[in-house]
Amino acid sequence: MKKTIPCSLLLGLAVLALAGCGQSTPAGPTASAGDKQLTIGVAFETLQTEFWIAGLDAIKTELAQRKIRVLEAIADGDANRQYEQVKNLITRKVDGIILVPKDAKTCLPMIKAAQAAGIPIVLFNRPSDSLGTNTPVAVVADNLALSRATVASLVARAKTTGTRHAGMLILGDLGDMNAIGRRDGFEAAVKGNESVVDVVARVPSEWNQEKAQAGVVNGLVAHPEIDFIFTSSDFLLPSIVSALKSAGKYKKAGEPGHVILGGFDGDATAYQMLTDGYLDATGVQDVYFEAQQAVQSLLDQRAGKTATGNIQDPGFVIDQENLKEKAPRMWGANVKKHR
Amino acid sequence: MSLDVAIAPPHPGRWRRLLGSDYFILLISALYFLALAPFIPGFATPENLRNLLANSLPLLVVAAGQTVVLIAGGIDLSVTAIMAATSVQGALVMQRMPNHGLLATVTGVAAMLGIGAVVGGGNGMAITRLRMPPFIVTLTAMMFFSGFAVWVTQSQKINGLPEDFNNLGGKLPFTLAASLLAVGLLGWLLRRSLFGAWLYAVGHNPRTARVSGVPVDGVLVGAYVLSGLGAALASVLLTGQGETGDPVLGRYLLLDVIGASVIGGASFFGGRGNVLSTAAGVLFIKLIDNSLGLLGSSHFTIMMVKGCLILAAALADSLRHRLVAAN
Repeated sequence: MKKTIPCSLLLGLAVLALAGCGQSTPAGPTASAGDKQLTIGVAFETLQTEFWIAGLDAIKTELAQRKIRVLEAIADGDANRQYEQVKNLITRKVDGIILVPKDAKTCLPMIKAAQAAGIPIVLFNRPSDSLGTNTPVAVVADNLALSRATVASLVARAKTTGTRHAGMLILGDLGDMNAIGRRDGFEAAVKGNESVVDVVARVPSEWNQEKAQAGVVNGLVAHPEIDFIFTSSDFLLPSIVSALKSAGKYKKAGEPGHVILGGFDGDATAYQMLTDGYLDATGVQDVYFEAQQAVQSLLDQRAGKTATGNIQDPGFVIDQENLKEKAPRMWGANVKKHR
Repeated sequence: MSLDVAIAPPHPGRWRRLLGSDYFILLISALYFLALAPFIPGFATPENLRNLLANSLPLLVVAAGQTVVLIAGGIDLSVTAIMAATSVQGALVMQRMPNHGLLATVTGVAAMLGIGAVVGGGNGMAITRLRMPPFIVTLTAMMFFSGFAVWVTQSQKINGLPEDFNNLGGKLPFTLAASLLAVGLLGWLLRRSLFGAWLYAVGHNPRTARVSGVPVDGVLVGAYVLSGLGAALASVLLTGQGETGDPVLGRYLLLDVIGASVIGGASFFGGRGNVLSTAAGVLFIKLIDNSLGLLGSSHFTIMMVKGCLILAAALADSLRHRLVAAN
């Protein structure tokens, strides 16, 4: 027994020390808002992709600039764990919560819990289903408009070849409103352009690289004529590149056999592929704008301003023509530079 | 005489008795809580203790079922897939009922528990009748039912569930009552019933148990049925908590389930474990989650800490097993 107490204290200290490795620190010694330094809880469903890492970094930078303390929680894809984490943030009596939910539905109890505790909550990049007048503000990319513009850019490039193209769409997780918006944007852009692009394959990925790769490989076997691909997220590009290489179809723009390729997000891989000439266009989400708007919305709510509806991030399309001009605003280009 | 002394096992010291105690981990949990309470804001508040309890109950229910299987010398890797499959099937049943009253809730819960029991029974039958290893049977069941849950829903979440059903997981008194009832019943079965005695006998040595007249196959099937029921009840609680039928419910819970059972003293070698100790294991795992979460630690840090603790528990289990064998 005498040995047990020191052992457990040691264990506690070890755990505290480990915890310190992942703990966020206050922004600065003078950080305050009025008399009290604010603390914002940032609960992300995942850090699986570069986009989310860039998003988290952008939020932390924005909060640091405003001298606001951060408490972060990553649920690693588990909605129930995220619910527990949100309850932990409520227990810590944070001054606001920025939430990236797993999907539009499982976040509803989290939103209700935060609202019941009187804590403002903003959704980052993924909106929730409606809770009537209690639906929280969500800062979201205009997925439909941006993917439509991106695919329209690809279609315009396809028109210049003077041939009819066989198209493939790689879908995201259709439980995610973003994935639905991107699918609808794609469909809207190709509608009326069937003489240019005939969509012969729609591959479900569920935001999973292995599933995407298997789907693209199968699609290319079933339809070897495919020469036009749009992915609902750039993080699936490595899977597509791998499948295209296996099929001997990975060629630069301008080379014979080039597959017109487009994506969405604007990550570092997309930037590199644009630079190298393999990618034709991608729709870039402006994570810096989204982070700034999410934090501002929380502060506005705390100040008593009524917050309703979504805040739209218009984003922009980046392609071979405007690459140099737009790259400074592309978050993936910045990630690439800092590697 | 001198020979007797030479081969006699050493007298177990106090630390060894403590290590072997079923309640060792409860003591560690209490000390952990007391040691960290002054350092973590909000850790020792009634609100947080309430959260801790609410978060622990679904894990307790499924880990208690897993403990039964571990006592019998098996392992059930399919529990998380059972949770996902029952979550979406129960949600679909309730969604298709003409009204969303109490009848829909009762029907949905019955369907979920029924599916859990049937899948668990199927696992048990495959293991006993086909003489297949539990690891392979439950691993393939996990793969099949995980895929089934996603296939049935095409990855879509199902919401709009009855309020009564949501209360089962979302309101602590209901969750507590359902969990205590289930775990209490399981505890009684293990400690007081003939089935419990048979279960330990099978876990210690199935051959001896069979020779002694224990219906080994029936006991094993029963153990897997109980594990399936535990997973299904946990699914009821978590589905109600999330107000959503989720085809990936519990996908990441398996480490916690087996970890809680093993930290609580259940042995991979069978014949050891009880529900109260598993409850202590659950409490410890959730204390780690909760304390590190309140500190704002990343999920990956928490996973690293939990992985180390489960490894330590498995090592302690192995050590204990060797000590018992030496004695």
